[in-house]
Parts: sequence; C-alpha cells; structure tokens
Amino acid sequence: MITRVTNQMMTDLLNNSMSTADTQYYNSIEEMSSGKQVNSPSDNPIGFGQILSYRSGLAQISNYQQNISSNNSWLSATESALTQVNDILTSVQTTAVSQASATATASTRQDAADSLQQQIEQIMSLANSQYENSYIFSGTSTDTAPFSATARSTAEYTVTPASENTYSGTVDTSGGTYTGTVNNTYVIKIVQGGTLGTATYEVSSDGGKTWGSAQTMPASGSIAIGDGINLTFPAGTFAANDVFAVNAYTTGYYNGNGEELSNEVNNGVTSNYSITGEEAFTNQQGNGTVDIFTVLNNLQTALQNNDTAGISSSLDSLTSAGDQITRYIAQCGTRENSLTAAGNVLTDMNTQLTTDDSNIEDADVATLETNIQQQQLALEAIYKTASDVEGMSILNFLQ
Amino acid sequence: MGNISSVLNIARDAILANTTALNVTGSNIANANTAGYSMLVPEFGSIGVFNDEGSQEQAGVQITSIERMNNKYLDAQEIQQEPNGAYSQAQLNVLNDVQSIFNESSTGGINSLLSQFWSAWSQVSSNPTDLTERDNLVSVSQSLASTFNQSANQLIQIQSDTNNQISDTVTQLNGYLAQMADLNNQITSAQAAGNNASSLEDQRYTLLQNISQIVQVNYNEDANGAMDLYISNGKPLVDGSTVYNLGVQANPNNSNYYDVVFQNAPTVAINADLQGGTLAGLLDVRDTDVGGYLNNLNNLAAAIVSSVNTQSSSGYDLNGNVGGNFFAPAGVGSPVAAGGNGYTGTVTAGGAYTGNTSTTYEVQIMSGGTLGTATYEVSSDDGQTWGSAQQMPTSGNITLGDGITLNFAAGTFSAGDVFTVNASSAAADMQVDPGIVADVTKIAASATVNQDGDNAGSIADIQNQNNSSLGGITIDNYYDSLETKIGQDVSNAQNSNDQQTAILSQIDNQRQAVSGVSLDEQLMNLIQYETAYNAAGRLTEVANTMFGTIINLGIDTAITTT
Repeated sequence: MITRVTNQMMTDLLNNSMSTADTQYYNSIEEMSSGKQVNSPSDNPIGFGQILSYRSGLAQISNYQQNISSNNSWLSATESALTQVNDILTSVQTTAVSQASATATASTRQDAADSLQQQIEQIMSLANSQYENSYIFSGTSTDTAPFSATARSTAEYTVTPASENTYSGTVDTSGGTYTGTVNNTYVIKIVQGGTLGTATYEVSSDGGKTWGSAQTMPASGSIAIGDGINLTFPAGTFAANDVFAVNAYTTGYYNGNGEELSNEVNNGVTSNYSITGEEAFTNQQGNGTVDIFTVLNNLQTALQNNDTAGISSSLDSLTSAGDQITRYIAQCGTRENSLTAAGNVLTDMNTQLTTDDSNIEDADVATLETNIQQQQLALEAIYKTASDVEGMSILNFLQ
Repeated sequence: MGNISSVLNIARDAILANTTALNVTGSNIANANTAGYSMLVPEFGSIGVFNDEGSQEQAGVQITSIERMNNKYLDAQEIQQEPNGAYSQAQLNVLNDVQSIFNESSTGGINSLLSQFWSAWSQVSSNPTDLTERDNLVSVSQSLASTFNQSANQLIQIQSDTNNQISDTVTQLNGYLAQMADLNNQITSAQAAGNNASSLEDQRYTLLQNISQIVQVNYNEDANGAMDLYISNGKPLVDGSTVYNLGVQANPNNSNYYDVVFQNAPTVAINADLQGGTLAGLLDVRDTDVGGYLNNLNNLAAAIVSSVNTQSSSGYDLNGNVGGNFFAPAGVGSPVAAGGNGYTGTVTAGGAYTGNTSTTYEVQIMSGGTLGTATYEVSSDDGQTWGSAQQMPTSGNITLGDGITLNFAAGTFSAGDVFTVNASSAAADMQVDPGIVADVTKIAASATVNQDGDNAGSIADIQNQNNSSLGGITIDNYYDSLETKIGQDVSNAQNSNDQQTAILSQIDNQRQAVSGVSLDEQLMNLIQYETAYNAAGRLTEVANTMFGTIINLGIDTAITTT
C-alpha cells in the first residue's frame, strides 16, 4: 500500500506500463506478419521441438513417396518388356504349332527357323533392357548385361580384385569347376595381412554379407571355397581388407544373379522392385520353370533339321515359357498395387502431420486481429494518461 | 521582564532557520530527478527558555538537524534483490544470442539438413550406380558438416565474448570498490567532524546498488560510519578503506576460460561463491548453459559420424572395396613420432578429448633417458609455446591437457625426440572424409560386392534407430530436444527477468515513498517557509520600532532608527 507518491514513481509507472503494452503489441505484430505463432524456440519450447519432429516426418514421407515413384517407373518398364516378350512368345507358339503339323515341309520349317532367329534376337534385346542406364533383369549386377547370345557350355568362375587391394598377384582359377545350380558371388576378404602361410582370410557365399570363420592362407596359396571353386594365389603380400570378388556362373545364357533390388517405402517396409532374369527367363530356380532361350534355340535347331518330334516336344515348353512370363507380368501388377497402397498410407500420414504441425505452428489470424485491436486501444489509453499526468502540478494553481 | 534585544534575537533566529529550511527545500526541488537522492527534511526545534537575570525568556527556533529520509530496512531489501535481476538479465542477453544461432526458419538449419542427409542416402540406395546421386549426397553432407562447424564455432565465440565480458566486469567492480573505499574515508571524516554527509551517503548507496548488481554482497556499517562489504562466503571486498580486489585467472581445464579469483589468492577460484549478480550470471551461462549446448552438439555430431562410419564399414563401394569412413573421425588421433626420433617404442593416445576445436599437441624430449629419468615439455599450440619441463614417469603415462593421455612403452629417449598428437572435436571439425569428396565411387552404398544399394538404405535407416550414446533416442529427436532445451532456458530466463524486475520495482517504489521528492509537497513547504520568513521579518520591524520608542524616551529631538 503506497502511502506517499513521488514524481519519479509516477513516471516509472507510466514508462513500465508503456513498455509492457509495446512488447505485447510487438509480439502480436510479429505473429501476424510471419503467420506463425511460434517464431523461435522460446515462444513455445515443447511445441517447437514437436514442430521440428513433424518437419522431419514430412521430409521422410516425401522421400518414401519418391521411392514409390521410381519403383513404379522401374516396374512399368519391366512390365512393358515382359509384355512384349509374351507377345513374341505367343507368336512363336503359333508358328511352332503350325510347323509341328503334317502340313509343314522342310522348306516352311526352314523359313520359320529364320523368322525365329529374329524373334530370339528381339527377346534377347528385351531381356537386356535398361532403365536409366541399369539393366533391369540382372538382379543386383545392374552394370552387366544379363543375357549373352551364346550359352556357356561349362560352368565357370572369375576373380575380380577390389581396386584398392595391396595384393597384386593374379589369382589362378583353373583348378576347379563350379558346381552350384544358380549364379552366385563369393567374396574372399583378408582379415590379417601377411604373406602365404601367415595371412588369414574369411569367405562369404552371399556376396559379402555374412562370413565363415577366419582361416590361414596356406603356403601353397591354394584354397577351396566351396561349390567346386578352387583358387590359387601366387606369392605376394596381403593387407587387411583386401577383397576378392568371385563371380560364379552356371551353364546357360544368364550372367546376372538372383537378388531382387529393393528399397524402403515406409519405416521398416521393404519394396522389392526388380524382377531378375534368373526367375523370369531361366530354370535355375527349379519348380517346373524352363530356360526360355534354351527352349527357343532348341526349337530353332529342330526346325532347321526338319525334326517333327523335336518341334512337337517344344510345344509344352513354350506353353510353360509363356506361363512363366505371364506370372511375372502379374507379379509386376501386384507390386504396383502394393506401391499404390503404400502411397495412400503415406498420403494419409502426410495430411495428419501437416495438420498437427499447423495446429502448433500457424497463427490464428482471427484471434490475432482482435488482440491487436485491443492492444492498440490499451496503448492509446496509456499515451493519453501519460500526457495528462505530466501536466498535473500544483504550480498550475499557485499565483 | 521583557527584553527587546531578545525579541530581535528571536526574529533573527527565525529568519535564519527559515532561510535554511528554504535552502533545503530548494535543494530537494533541484534534485527531484537525481537518481539515488534522498529527500532532506529540516527539523525545527524550539530552543526553549534561558535564564536572564532571574527571569525566563523564550529563545525561539533553530534547525536542530537536517534529516535524510531513508529506511535502512528497505535499502537492505533492495540490495538483496538487485543481484537477482542482474543475474537473469545477464543470462537472458547471452541466451538470446544462442537462440538466434539455432534458427530453424529456413532450410539451412540442422533439422532440415539432417532430413536432406537421410533422404540423400535413401536416394543413393535406390540408385547405387548413379554418380549424380552420390555427388548430391556428398554436397548435402558437406552442408550438414559445415553447419555443425558454424554452430559450434558460434557457440565458442559466444563463450569467448562472455569470457571477455567477465574480465571487463571484474575490472568495473574493482573500480567501484575503490570508489567505495574512498567514500568510506570521506564519510568517516565528515562524521568525526560532525558534518552532514547525506549527499555522500546517497552516492555510496548508488555505488552499493551498482556493486550488488555485479555480485551479491552482504554489508554492514561499522561504528565510524564506514560500510564493509563481504561476498557470500564471508570474505571481505571492502573493509573500511582497505580494498580486496577481484581478478581473473585462466583455467586450463576449462579451455582456458577465466575463473574469478581474489587478486591476493589467484589459485583459488571463487566462482561458486559469487551468488547472484552479473558475474555469476555470466559464469553460469558460459559454462553450464552454453558449455552444455556445445557438449550436446558434440555428442550429436559424434553420434552421426560414428554410426554412419560404422555402417559404412559393413558395406562395399562401387569398386568392390570394403567401405571406409564417410566422415573424418573426430577425437584423439594416433600419435606420430618424428622421423629422426631415437625412441623406437610404441606410443598410444587415450582419453576423451574435451576441447572445443582442433588442437595439435606436441611432446618434446628435453633430456634423454628412460622412463623415470628422461624429461619432456608439452605444447598445446603446435609447438609455438611450451610448458615447463617435467620428468617422464616410470609408468610412461602422461597427460597433455583437455582430457588427452599418452602412454609410452619402455624404451630409451633421445633429447630432441618429438611426438605429435592431433585432436579434433566432433562438431567444430566435422567434415566429410576428403577421400570420399575426391572420389564418390568410394561411398559404400552396397551390402554385397554387387550393386544392391542396401548399405546406403541401412545408413538412411539410422534415422529411425535409437542411439545408445544419445541416451536411447534417435539422432533427430536428440536435436529436437536440444532446441526445446534452448527454448526453455530462454523462456525461463525471460520469465525470471520479468519477475525479478517486478519485485525490484515494487521495493523501489517503497523506497521512493520514503526517500523520493514530491514536487507538490516541496512547493507547499516553500509557501510555508516563505510565510514564516515574512512573519519573522515583520517581527523584526516591530521590535525595531519598539527600540526606537525606548531610545527616544526623554530626548527632545527624536532619533530615528530606520
């Protein structure tokens, strides 16, 4: 309770009131002009943290949406290639049926064989399709064309040293024959450097993801890493982390592998977006599949040799080939549907996060306008009071 | 029996007293706007009666004293309150600067760059052989790293500026202490001589306010009128006319930032004893708040570097090589022995580097020998300045500073042997590994030696993983929490400042009510004293006339007395 008021107290009081009112007015103007009620962390510390979290979430959603989009493009290119392959196979089948019948002659069969050559080349070209400089049917070896025009007659394997290896010898691969049923990539990694007899290494049979236990490089330099693969390392010095990729191929036309490419389209949700040549065009995965190029080349040989039995026996295989391709066309459709569903989930999440963010961050313009009006009135009241008070003095009344 | 001369005396005393009163009123009016001025009130006292040859005569009025209107209890309350407001003001100023560093309103903030960083990895995972995506990843990563560099350096700059401010404030305080001692001298002399010292006391109170804004003090007036000041642990700053100055001392365990000390005891830091006030506010905000944010930033950068590098080493680059570091690793590097060293043993570095920016330490052997006999010196600025020589302990373990330790295996040292150790801090020195910048094919995007892109996907997935070095939350969440913390600290400082200001304002009002000048009141007093003065003048005239009458009794020619 103030019992005595001095001039200084009056002035201080007015100054403080004006300062407070100015600050509130300023804050409202700041919110109005930025459109945001949280302009710095101190405006709403917990809210600011949440806003940042929403922004991260929205950016992640945008990234997943981009993945969905690029996956769709890849699948679309795949589906298109497979559809064209299927069309050609249907045409081949028609030819085969007619050439298997009694009305065909050696001459018609020879003509059919010539046409078939072109069709084989077309299918080969489609099987070697690229999307943005990557072969779409190679599995993960996207820089290697998946199919060669002529088949390997024996299984083989090659050694590719990594570019930064210290060891510079050339590995001898002639000591064995690959016995695996599918193409595979093995990896030899030096664990502890040294020379033959002292360095240690470990072997991976899944491209370098998992490893067997470390072993010592024998003095002879000859090691067997499984599935018939025997390698001999000439004398030299190894360093830790020297890597040797061993690409092993079965017989046949296929040069890729069986690993489908994948990425994430939501947190923890993987999308496999590629179809490998191994599953679509070869019989390496078993289960009643056929090697399409073998079938076609056999048919061509039968046609050239006027071999009725050979032509007839290819008919079932051709049907299987058509079914195989059709199955993977459907697979593309299924995957595209999954991507659409994933995209819908993301759209919903996007909407939710955007709304949540807006609730915290965006200014309520209507309320702000009212506040600003009130604050202007309050300021004007203070200004008037100040000017009135400053003129109050007993001197006005003394003679 | 009446005595006309005594009437004249009364009139004269009245005139003098009222003149003095007018003088005091004039001083009050003139000082209406002087800060710290205490209103003066002239106390009229009746002189009473005196004996004049057996009869009692009234003796009129005198000014017995000029009172300085002041309430020591309110003074003490205000002095108690001053440091609190100054403390939160000091903090608020610095914290506002910090808040502007962590501005997330554009896409250049760490939150936005982190999102771009994780996205870039994801895009590499979808396009593992595409060099454009790899270039983009490197570009975004460099932006992220340089933003960490900038933020850390700006925090360090704020610490450095605050550090300088501490030094300046101590100098300012010492100036005040000197003035306080001087005023103590003047006031004790004035009191001893019986003179009025009220304007000196006003000055001293203002000085006391300034001092207590810098550091909280306890004070008491001794018997001679001198004011003694003590800090919270009881040690004196001013004792009569003796001053105990404060000083600053660089602390090598705190990046050589200043501790506050007494100049006569420079090895004893009194930081914790400075309760409240600007100095304590600056010390706390420099070490606890900004130091804390810097630690958080370093933890965050270290977690990013470590988790990305670890995952990178599980993958393969475009040329089939095992993945290396994506970011240049921070922390203490391996010690490098100079080429011509006589010592051939193994040197290993250890410890957790606590410095804020990169430093190059050197250890130089001064006199050769073995463990236990050789001597060495340490430099923390790449060999420019050296510490004093020390003996190599038999354990071979030495400390270099900033948390770094070195261990020398048994061996023989030669004089002149040099060992270099580089230490870098996670945030200020964060950078993409130069090897990656030079050749983006080295980015370990694949989990196999074929181009599957899955390792880049795993790195992108780090965004969603709880990180144990960050207390079990994700990297993004850790940064968001840091922003929240900064916001809360600023908000708290603002609220505290507002509250302290309001409290101080209220106490000040109460003081003003006692000591302040009200012009209306003084003007009324002016009229009052003027009227009394006029009445006294009238009395003089009447007494004079009466004198004239007495003098002219029994004389033919009248003697006029006017």
